[in-house]
Amino acid sequence: MIRRLSGSGRVALVVVALLWLVAAVSPLFAERASEIRLDERLRPPSLAHPFGTDDLGRDLAARVVTATPISLAIGLVAAAVSLLVGFGIGAAAGYFGGATDLLLSRLIEVVLCFPVLFLLLALAAFLPPSPATVVLAIGLTTWPSDARYARAEILKARNLDYSRAARAAGAGPARILLRHLLPNALPPLLVSAAFGVSWAILAEAALSFLGVGLPAPASSWGGILSAAPAYIEEAWWLALFPGLALFATVSAYNLLAESLRHATTEAGRT
Amino acid sequence: MIRYLVRRLLLAIPTLFGIVVLVFLLLHLAPGSPASAVGSPEAGRRVSAAAREEMRKLYGLDRPLPERFVRWIGRVARFDLGESFVDRRPVSERIREALPATLALNGLALFFTLALAVPVGVAAGGRPEGPFDRASAVVLFALYSMPVFWAALLLQTLLSVELGWLPLYGVSSDPAPGGILGLADRLEHLALPVTCLTYGSLAFFARLVRAGVVEARSQDFVTAALARGLSRRQALWRHAFRNALLPLVTLLGLLLPGLLSGSVIVERIFAWPGLGRLYFDSILSRDYPVVLGLSLLGGVATLAATLAADIAAAIVDPRLREEA
Repeated sequence: MIRRLSGSGRVALVVVALLWLVAAVSPLFAERASEIRLDERLRPPSLAHPFGTDDLGRDLAARVVTATPISLAIGLVAAAVSLLVGFGIGAAAGYFGGATDLLLSRLIEVVLCFPVLFLLLALAAFLPPSPATVVLAIGLTTWPSDARYARAEILKARNLDYSRAARAAGAGPARILLRHLLPNALPPLLVSAAFGVSWAILAEAALSFLGVGLPAPASSWGGILSAAPAYIEEAWWLALFPGLALFATVSAYNLLAESLRHATTEAGRT
Repeated sequence: MIRYLVRRLLLAIPTLFGIVVLVFLLLHLAPGSPASAVGSPEAGRRVSAAAREEMRKLYGLDRPLPERFVRWIGRVARFDLGESFVDRRPVSERIREALPATLALNGLALFFTLALAVPVGVAAGGRPEGPFDRASAVVLFALYSMPVFWAALLLQTLLSVELGWLPLYGVSSDPAPGGILGLADRLEHLALPVTCLTYGSLAFFARLVRAGVVEARSQDFVTAALARGLSRRQALWRHAFRNALLPLVTLLGLLLPGLLSGSVIVERIFAWPGLGRLYFDSILSRDYPVVLGLSLLGGVATLAATLAADIAAAIVDPRLREEA
């Protein structure tokens, strides 16, 4: 798989790996990130504070680093929830066809009709605030695109020889779906998952930016950014650096997804 | 044609029903309902007993589920969305007030999205892997990955704070100048929010246009057009693009939910008094009737837009009608 990735895809993979590395060492900066120095508030970037300091005098660079694992993990888990729900519903629609497909396809259409952020905000704000709520809210609002993807893949594969052979050999739907169709649909699902992660990271950032994301002590990039509008006229670094981290992460995952798509479609599936 | 229309409309009925049901379920996340029995969500925003009582009466939360559902359907059918908890005015009135601001914002964003995405996509797809295609791919990719609130903050910092060219936020200056200056003032205030709302859908749509043109230009009718002596430009616009247009028309309807989502963030950052801000404020103040009314409106509007897009596609392409 990796060998088939294009140059930019490999770069993206390295960036993602580096981000997770940063996440792994981030606890080392936790103390620095939470050190409040009111005499040092809103200092522009300098050697001592490469990203400057925030409104409480905390080192912004340390805060951005310590937010890395939160943003990455939420993105990954939320995308997994979305993929799980989406694959389940999409695969069932594609495999069983007929009335099941008609019903499940309507369901997908219904959820797609709502502005994602409307549903996301309602779920995130009305349920008790916790990381689980954020993850569930994102997963439960973004699954339709995964479902459409899975449905199309399963629809394509269910009448191919190998799945007919499995059916002829007496395998039940669950076995055919999980043992035969799922492995074959895996590469395109991986693409969907990579896009899903970048989407989920963005969604979490948007929620936290709007103030209905993770509860107080935890802070993601979106949470750090939420302080920026209040100081827009005096502290540009509050907006620039956390956003840059977010932008780099989302780009890396999108680029990875894009080259995965090329690798799985153009280079031909074996 | 008539048969296609009828069929398409009939298929939309279950979806419409689904939208109403989903909003009904959303209502059950609200306090006074089983899902919120654990307590109020955000700390410091406890819902008062009075509001709970009102919810119970308004939506009949003390009745059995089927009865509640029938009531809900009945109210929706009469376009009765209830009264806002915040100022006691009908929800429909509050929505109507906020609608023009959002329409202006999203209408302009949609206009610029199409006005820019089509030429960029056709130019890029006309020569795949050419210099323009490569350059535009990088730019569009970057725009696609850029969080809208970050873009908004950067633009504000650069264009409003540092250069002082554009106002930071708001709809107009206070006091607003009259006459032609007033119009210019309004446009100045629109510039940043419209830009923020446009660039994401622009990136999304231009890539689709490009893909469609790339696919169409390799087909026989384009080769034939070129062989007949048409110029590249004519072959591209008259033949390749026209055929690439069809699938795009059906996708237009799906731009709407994306724009509305964007409106929530953009209107908040730029203090724009539209539907997005009304929705967000209502979420924070737990103004459930407004939240439910807007959700319903968003869903139904998108359904209507996809329906209109499908019908438009059928008018343009007779093949679609015959298949149905």
